[in-house]
Order: sequence, then structure tokens, then C-alpha cells
Amino acid sequence: MHILKKPDLTDPKLRAKLAKGMGHNYYGEPAWPNDLLYMFPVVILGTIGCMVGLAVMDPAMLGDKADPFATPLEILPEWYLYPVFQILRVVPNKLLGIALQTMIPLGLMLVPFIESFNKFQNPFRRPVAMATFLFGTVFAIYLGIGAAMPIDKSLTLGLF
Amino acid sequence: MRRSLSLLLGSLIAFAVLLTGASPSWAYPFWAQQNYASPREATGKIVCANCHLAKKATRVEVPQAIFPDTVFKAVVEIPYDASVQQVAGDGSRAGLNVGAVVMLPDGFTLAPQDRLSEELKEETAGIYYTQYSDDQPNILLVGPISGDEHQEIVFPILSPDPATDSSIHFGKYQLHVGGNRGRGQVYPTGEKSNNGVFNAPVTGTVSAITAGDNGASLVEITAADGTTATETVPAGPTILAAVGDAVVAGSPITNDPNVGGFGQIDAEVVLQNPVRIYGLLAFFAAIALAQILLVLKKRQVEKVQAAEGLI
Repeated sequence: MHILKKPDLTDPKLRAKLAKGMGHNYYGEPAWPNDLLYMFPVVILGTIGCMVGLAVMDPAMLGDKADPFATPLEILPEWYLYPVFQILRVVPNKLLGIALQTMIPLGLMLVPFIESFNKFQNPFRRPVAMATFLFGTVFAIYLGIGAAMPIDKSLTLGLF
Repeated sequence: MRRSLSLLLGSLIAFAVLLTGASPSWAYPFWAQQNYASPREATGKIVCANCHLAKKATRVEVPQAIFPDTVFKAVVEIPYDASVQQVAGDGSRAGLNVGAVVMLPDGFTLAPQDRLSEELKEETAGIYYTQYSDDQPNILLVGPISGDEHQEIVFPILSPDPATDSSIHFGKYQLHVGGNRGRGQVYPTGEKSNNGVFNAPVTGTVSAITAGDNGASLVEITAADGTTATETVPAGPTILAAVGDAVVAGSPITNDPNVGGFGQIDAEVVLQNPVRIYGLLAFFAAIALAQILLVLKKRQVEKVQAAEGLI
């Protein structure tokens, strides 16, 4: 048995709202108290259970003591910095490396201006912006995978 | 007096070990024991790699978690192609030997014989485990042993008990494992072994290749200014340079006879408290009960809502 509030389609006010793409929250299961009071705690408790389970079964490890005079054999930053780390690693010239690092925020700043003349919001109707975004994403993932590989394989990913 | 006596005794023991324990084609973990207080450098490099220069894969299998005062096994896999042979110290061909080092977390030790299960006794039969040094029972060495039967080396390990040793705590710890197959390329003194590439000492022309002692070859290189330099190539590597060849300083004049290599890997193991597992199970049960009761209460409220026609 479900308590479902049906839309009263004879109501002209609701029909007018629906015509404008609004008013959908006037029907369906009521949020209070069915969802907020009863279902939300179920999910919250499940999440807490997952976290406590991980904390007990797979606790965080203390690594080696920090030693600023001993560089580890393999250095890697946090995962979200892999692509930019890879740029610094494969570019032979330090100045070029710094220049490319500067290009990253500059390139990101450019994004809103790509295809800004296009009146559509739908990504499928913004081919240039979409192509730029997809290329950037794929290229960042490629650089990120390369960062985790030995330097001689990092550009070919060991595939060729 | 005491000092010289102990020196004499030490050298006698070393001599005896060299005489009895060593055969030319074996690797020597005790060289690492003599030269390094810990087999792991501050950078994380295991010191075997200082002499075994080639890199090959090593794998390790340990349980995800273990209870205190329990015997478990760490399996070190040192794979290689068993059909290939390496050069022995005298230049002849011989099978590869393997060896492994396992650096356990503090408190973990080799399991005593009487606590091994029948299965573990079988798996560890014929393998002799030594600890790296007297004050480090948590660092275990095996080898060199014949590689053909021991591409997998099982280490029986006893976990410590925080209840009896207050310096041990429950938590996750890291193991450092190194596995080696084949002979090294340099000796601890820095001399090259005959299991590596030999390079031209100077730029010039190979003027003569003559036989030396014990199957070695003397490659004489005449530089442009007329001076000659001689590189002694022991038996083992094949000389690629021929008389009359022009060579550049540092370029190889032999092939690389090495077929082995060293690899290291880290593994993690959780020293788990059984009481925590019980607590966790009880907590999960409480959560499941609370979730079921919440859903039942919602059902009840829905009935009231339907009866009152509020919605």
C-alpha cells in the first residue's frame, strides 16, 4: 500500500503551473512525514553502518615516519593531481612545465566563452564546447594513467 | 687483547661460513646483513637492489586481517622462466637460485615449529628461515635456495598479542617484501660480478683480445693518443667487440648474461581485535532492526493517512 497524492488535473491552477513546467511537487508521495521522518533515517543509518564497518575492518594505516631527507622511490601526489604531475614529469624544460601549469587555469577560464554566441543550453546542441570538454576529459584521464606508470611507458601507456 | 681475539674469532667464523655455506652461484643475503643495519633504506628501497640491479616482478599474498597470537602465512612469489640458465661464478651455466626478505611489522615473528598446521609444515618443509639480525626478529630471510622448486616461498608468521605486549596495538600495518632470483651484478665492495655487462673503459679501437686466467679475457683498447687500457672480462658474458672495432667509453663490449632480477612490493595486513568484530556485528544488528522498525512505522502511518483521507 502506498500513499500517493494524485494530481487533480481538473484544477485550472495546477494545469497552468504544469503548462509552465512547474507544480510537480503537488503530487506523489508526501515528503513529510513519509520520506523525511521515516525513509531518510533508514538511509542515514545504512551510511553510518558502512562507515563504521570500514573503520573496523579496514582501518587507516600509519605509513612511514616523515623524513624530509629521504625521497621515496616512487613519488606521486594525490590522485586528482596526477594529470598535472604528469605534465611536469614528461616536459623536459622546467620553464615550459611552469608555463603549461599556467595554461591550465587560463584554459579553464576560457571555457565559458567557447561558443558563448550559441543560444542553446543543451550540451548536444553545443558541438564545439562539447568536443573541447570531451577532449580535455579524455586527455586528462590519459595523463593521469600515465602518471602512475614508469616514465618509459608513461606516454604510450605500455600499449605500443 | 679482547678486541683482537674477537676480531680473530669473527674472521674465523666468516671464513668458515665462506668455506662451507657458500657456493659460487649463490646469492648472499648475509652481505646485506653485514653492511646494513636494516634491509630497508629510508627511501623505501630494499638493499638487495644495490647489488641485484635488474628489476623483475615479485608478488606477495597475505591475509587481509588476522587475529592476535595466530599463525598465518605470507606467500612470496618469485616467478621466472625455469628453462633459462644463468652464468655461475666460474662462467659455466647453472640454474637460478631464489631468495626473499620479508620485513614484518614490529612484534610479528616467524611462527615456531610446534604451532604450524600439518599443511603449513608441508609447505615450509626444507626451507630454512633466518632473522636479519639478533634484535630484529621481525625481519626474515630465506635463501639462496634452488629456484626451480621454490618460485613460491611460504613464510609462516605468528602475529603478536596486544594483551600480553603493551607495545603492540591493533590496527593496519605494512609489510615490505623483496624477492630475488639469480645472481647479483656487483659485489658489496663495488666490484662487478661476471653476471653483468662490461663496458669499454676508454674511447678507442680494440687492439687485442687475449685469454687471461680462469677463462677470463683481456680486452685491450688503444685510444687515439696511443695509450692502451685493458678491461678484464671474466668468464660468463660473451664478448661482442672484435679486434679492430671502434668503441666509445662506456659502451658495452659484452652481452648481458643476466637473466634474473630483484623486485620489491609492499603489502598490508590488519591486526584485528575479535571483540571489535563482535561489537561491529551487534551494531549492524541494531542498525538493521532500527531500519526495519522505521519502515514498519511508516507503513502504520500510511494506513492512518489512508483512513483519515488526509492526503
